[in-house]
Amino acid sequence: MRKAALIAVMVLACGGGQTHANLFSTNWQDDGGSSIAALQQKIGAARAAIGADVAVGVAGNSDKLVGVSLAGGAPWSFAHAIDVRPTITGSVVVAEGGGELFCLDAASGRKLWGRDVGSLAMRGAGDDGKVTVVSLKGAQTALVLAISRDGAVVRQVDAPDTVGVPAMFGGYAFVPWSYQYVSVLDLSSGDEAGRVLARGKVSHAFTASGALFFGEQDLFRFDERIKDASRNHATRISLPQRELPGTPSLMASGEDKIGPVATALDKTRMYAHPSSGEPIAFDAQRFYGTYFRLAMAFDTHSTKLAWVYSGKVELLSAAAGPSSFVVCNEDGSVVILDARTGGMERELSLGGPIKSCVVQADGLAAQTAQPAPPLAQQIAVALTNRDSEMISGQRLLLREIATLDDEAVTKTLVDLASNPLTAPLLIADARVALAARRSGAKYMLDALALHYDFLHDVLLTPPVGPMAQALAAMKEKSAAPLLAAHLLDPADTDDDVKQAAAALVDLGDASEVPALKQFMTLYRASADSEGVAGAVVSAGQSLLLYGGADGRKLVDQALADPMTLDAVKSRLSAVEQQVDAQHKAK
Amino acid sequence: MLSHPFRRFAPMVFVSSLAIVADVHADPKPPQVTVPKTVGADLKSGNADKIRTALDEIRLAGKGGGTAFVVPIVELLQKGVTSQLAEAALDTLADLEAEAASAVIAEYTQDRNVRVRQAATKALVKTKGAAAIKALVHSLSDQDPMVRGVAANGLGQMKAKAAIGDLFLALDHHVNEASVAIGMLCGAQECEQLGSRVGKIPFDVVSGAIEQALFRPDVPDDTKIKLVGRIRELGTNEANKFLRETAKRWSQGSARVKQALDQAVQATGGGS
Repeated sequence: MRKAALIAVMVLACGGGQTHANLFSTNWQDDGGSSIAALQQKIGAARAAIGADVAVGVAGNSDKLVGVSLAGGAPWSFAHAIDVRPTITGSVVVAEGGGELFCLDAASGRKLWGRDVGSLAMRGAGDDGKVTVVSLKGAQTALVLAISRDGAVVRQVDAPDTVGVPAMFGGYAFVPWSYQYVSVLDLSSGDEAGRVLARGKVSHAFTASGALFFGEQDLFRFDERIKDASRNHATRISLPQRELPGTPSLMASGEDKIGPVATALDKTRMYAHPSSGEPIAFDAQRFYGTYFRLAMAFDTHSTKLAWVYSGKVELLSAAAGPSSFVVCNEDGSVVILDARTGGMERELSLGGPIKSCVVQADGLAAQTAQPAPPLAQQIAVALTNRDSEMISGQRLLLREIATLDDEAVTKTLVDLASNPLTAPLLIADARVALAARRSGAKYMLDALALHYDFLHDVLLTPPVGPMAQALAAMKEKSAAPLLAAHLLDPADTDDDVKQAAAALVDLGDASEVPALKQFMTLYRASADSEGVAGAVVSAGQSLLLYGGADGRKLVDQALADPMTLDAVKSRLSAVEQQVDAQHKAK
Repeated sequence: MLSHPFRRFAPMVFVSSLAIVADVHADPKPPQVTVPKTVGADLKSGNADKIRTALDEIRLAGKGGGTAFVVPIVELLQKGVTSQLAEAALDTLADLEAEAASAVIAEYTQDRNVRVRQAATKALVKTKGAAAIKALVHSLSDQDPMVRGVAANGLGQMKAKAAIGDLFLALDHHVNEASVAIGMLCGAQECEQLGSRVGKIPFDVVSGAIEQALFRPDVPDDTKIKLVGRIRELGTNEANKFLRETAKRWSQGSARVKQALDQAVQATGGGS
């Protein structure tokens, strides 16, 4: 507390103003939006300057910032201790480390100013091209500082410890606090010029598309309806409900100190770029989710997956722009993708590996992107990544790919389910999806031709059961000899054998009789599972249907033989009666 | 619950012991065990216990008295039985060494029960024939390592030269039993191919195969000398020990090979 007071004295000595008593008051009475309405009338026509499009990484041993313009060019570097995640706002980068709060020109990395803040840690910052407003917190104190370009403190105010990330707009500082309020600080007087009481979690204020927004998961726009915020009638936009791996959020709490090294939460995050037009929407009709090495774009109306980007390394951060999506990877590569197609526009470099990253793409103009491969192919690439951290994301993508009619999807599913390197959970999902396929029979037939073969490194049997189900539904008669061969493959699972035998009832003909007979012989007395017993009954049914007199004789012998398992015999007898009844009916 | 074959066949072991004692006392003929008259009917009874007993009786009788029952046992397998009976039937056919049974035994190398597959593979090594070789080559790719090992070993014993490519593939897939089989089968070029594995696969795996090749009269001396050279290049203690023991046993073989062995023993004497 003493230290904070000392700092306060120190910064005020550098030209700060006075604070007002009612600022951040918890005794505030909801004025029905009158104060904020007046302010909105006054500055509502203002447009925030479009910020610098830049990616900034924390590099080295958290002792260096590196940045690159998204328009291209050589990266810049600035050596300084970094204790918190830097913020890009407007045309500047604000960071803090080694007891100094400092501001860099985002385009060049040139230092604009620095101020000693002792043990206070930055939470976030906003900038309007003239003044930078910063929230800082220590163990027992919190401050909001407004600093002009020359480094002079324009205003310093004590803030509640629930203070979030502030923004500058129309010459005023907008400071969210206590997750529900946004107090508007008049920098010239130190007064609270107005207050928003939002009916939603608010810990961030920021500008995008020239407009001002507040929020954390839902976004509230500062427009003529902001006066009705306390009655829940402000202009508000939420991300569509969508199943995503890791249940990512749009923003971390603005109250929290975010360290200089990216965590798993940074790698599983949602993104969207709100528009300033009417009605409020997310630009490019897209919202995005990241999951370690994956970036996924979704349609805001249908929530359908639009495209998938698979990184070679993990994604540390990203940013949604009006028509682009920018991903920042741990190897320091920065990839700009077309928001609509996912096609790559360009790849930039921060010069080497980074610890964390922040990106701003507010004004990034669309450029010609490389054509993106079909969605099925994009997902197939993502599914072949063997990183075990990816499983949840891959399971989601597998459900997505299963909805596509593309024949190539069947091949992807077959390959996944046949590969011993695929995670067991993914194999199980792929098998379920395969059983429901109604296209791509040729890929299934190719796979059925394979059997476990130790010497030729085929160490996992193909997904015979699901393919048998699908091929039977597709009435694919050419599958019959391949399925019959699998009846006699001891490496196939009991369920696979059961499904193969069941499919042969519909697909088989006299050509399959020898295999069916051999199967009956081997297992009518020795089936040791429900799957194999069921397969024996199906084999018997096939022999009755198209095995001729010999087939029926074999079934009758099995029924008469005391060694035939009771479970097989009773069902086989029922099947025989059923077949006989069908014959009579004809 | 399956009984252990040795327990079940304790009487047979006893009989064999008597036979050895008899040998000592210069009795050349083992006693003929007669098969009860009911055995044929029991095999067709459909009664698992009776079938089991009948199979035991046939095994006790051995090739002499049991060969007559090859056909009914084959029919039994063709009809289908429990896994336990299949195992017993396969073991019995193995004892009877009837090639005619190989085709039906081969079908049981595809059984889902691994013990049945093991029994079938072992039986094929005894019953032999083209059907057996074909099935054993297929069994080299079985999921079960014991089945693969028995198949590899069996192909060597059966002099299945056509399988040598598969045996090399098996050796490269760590089916160690394929090594000795290759040693039993290899021609000059293939023996040298085996020699090229020295130093790449464990010595105890490759040495048995080279030993086989060295003592085979049909392998050319030049090939044998090359194989000795491969071992010599290793220069290890175990290589020296192998060479010493081989040289000691080299009583009637080629003098050139003996000389190569002696030189190799000397050269590897200080090996580590």
